[in-house]
Amino acid sequence: MFDRVGGIAGARGRVALLALLAALVGMPPLFDSYYHFLLSLMLINVIVAVGLNLLIGNAGQISLCHSSFMAIGAYATIYLSTKLGLNYWLAMPLGGVVAGAFGCILGLPAVRVRGFYLAVVTLGFLEIIQIVIEQTPGITGGVRGMSASRPELFGVKLRADLHFYYVILAVTAAALYCAHTLLHSPTGRAFNAIRVSESAAATLGIPVARTKLIAFIVAAFYAGIGGGLFATLVGFIDPLEFGVWTSIRHVVFIVVGGLGSIVGSAVGAAVLTALPEILRGFKEFSEFVYGGLLLVVLIVMPRGLVGLWPWWRARGRASPPARTAAVDKARAA
Amino acid sequence: MTAILSVERLTLRYIGLVALADLSVAFAPGAIHGLIGPNGAGKTTLINAISGLATASEGRILFEGRDIAGLAPHLIAALGIGRTFQNAEVFADHTTLDNAMVGFYRTMRRGFWHDVLGTPGKRAAEHEMRRRAEALLDRFSVAGYRDAVAADLPFGVLKRIDLARALAARPRVLLLDEPTSGMSANEAQATITVCRALAQEHGVTLIVVEHNMRVIMSLADTITVLHHGEKIAEGTPEDVQRDPVVIDTYLGRGAARA
Repeated sequence: MFDRVGGIAGARGRVALLALLAALVGMPPLFDSYYHFLLSLMLINVIVAVGLNLLIGNAGQISLCHSSFMAIGAYATIYLSTKLGLNYWLAMPLGGVVAGAFGCILGLPAVRVRGFYLAVVTLGFLEIIQIVIEQTPGITGGVRGMSASRPELFGVKLRADLHFYYVILAVTAAALYCAHTLLHSPTGRAFNAIRVSESAAATLGIPVARTKLIAFIVAAFYAGIGGGLFATLVGFIDPLEFGVWTSIRHVVFIVVGGLGSIVGSAVGAAVLTALPEILRGFKEFSEFVYGGLLLVVLIVMPRGLVGLWPWWRARGRASPPARTAAVDKARAA
Repeated sequence: MTAILSVERLTLRYIGLVALADLSVAFAPGAIHGLIGPNGAGKTTLINAISGLATASEGRILFEGRDIAGLAPHLIAALGIGRTFQNAEVFADHTTLDNAMVGFYRTMRRGFWHDVLGTPGKRAAEHEMRRRAEALLDRFSVAGYRDAVAADLPFGVLKRIDLARALAARPRVLLLDEPTSGMSANEAQATITVCRALAQEHGVTLIVVEHNMRVIMSLADTITVLHHGEKIAEGTPEDVQRDPVVIDTYLGRGAARA
């Protein structure tokens, strides 16, 4: 059903995907707008997490400034559409492009450092973006924030959350498709290769620095698109929304979901976005329960929620998981 | 015949150690060259220098007349020089098939936009890559491990995956660093036979570091013997086996009688 990079594989995978898509299209009208809003937030975080996972989980480059690219996409989308009067359907993708350009600006120095040093570089970038947003009120509204309005589609203003939800759903589907085809291509394989062994990758002709740069740009583009949709959905943004805590939450999404896995990004982001809402019943203890659940997941499932999948498939079977069975088979042959 | 690859007066120093000392070797195209010598002789260092993973202190490395010393490893690979690794260096969390597929990066990539949009051209290339990767794995008798993760596989299998991956990149010159280590005598023989056949089919020049004397003496057209980073002998396997200096420093008296 899933392949090794968390893409959809096989007939069962396709059926499950189509069923999920049908449910995401058909079910929401049956619920009230609170759920439309929540589902929209979940999908936006899915887009953002999928992009981050390409960078961290596949290309192996840690980033703690993913929220900054979300911010850049959000501010660029609003600025281009409301202040410059650009058509929203042009402004929103351009917001992603602007974020991607900043991803390139960050990536150029960042591809030279690794691990903790890269983490610190990205934190520095996050601080700079925060300060720039606060200090340029003419463009960004500064600390007072900026409000956004919903776009029109075919002459209808998408005021209802349900309507805008369908826009987000379509963008999410496209984002997931592109991540899937990318990971099943030479470029995506190069991401995974440089994470495991830069020297082996280089001797196969893979330009290591350029590949990292592409990963930074793609991740930033995804975050920028997510940011643009977020601003439009919520209707108001300020710099606080895109602080370091938001970046850490993005990392938590993919670690809990499963590093290097598309379905992991999606599950992690969706579950962890919905979880605080589900935990509302715990009132003042809800954050305590949230943190506790995170710890349990990370201790019990070191490979994230998607790590449950091979275990679930192998349940009740006497033989060890599939990959060991494949080895046994080959040895016997 | 002019050499396809040659190193000229190559010196490579690490702190307090001369790994290669004023070394000059020429490799003729289409032939199989053996590189032997005791541990620490500089064999792997020479391969690292040619493939760009180590930078020579002095000297030139000429590939088809062009000096490639100091070029980045991926550019050297792009010119058509491939290599395998002593420790196999396969991508440990990849399956056997994925490992081999990485090898096609240079020759089969359609470009970023094809990859991210999933164009028909990219899909066709993907299909073709898979077919070729499976054929290569089959040649090395590791197709049965297709979906197994490399970390779970024995070393002898990883060495063959490394070979298949390097050949997938269609190199003109392929540097093999102890290709048969970790293999049984039969596996080693079979692997070498496949290497030689593939090299002939595609006109690949092979440069092979090998400790297994039986393997290298039967495989190589010419042999270069290194000791302390210097060339102490070169010639046909027969010449080298009879060379008194080589017998003293490396082969030992027993080999001379054999």
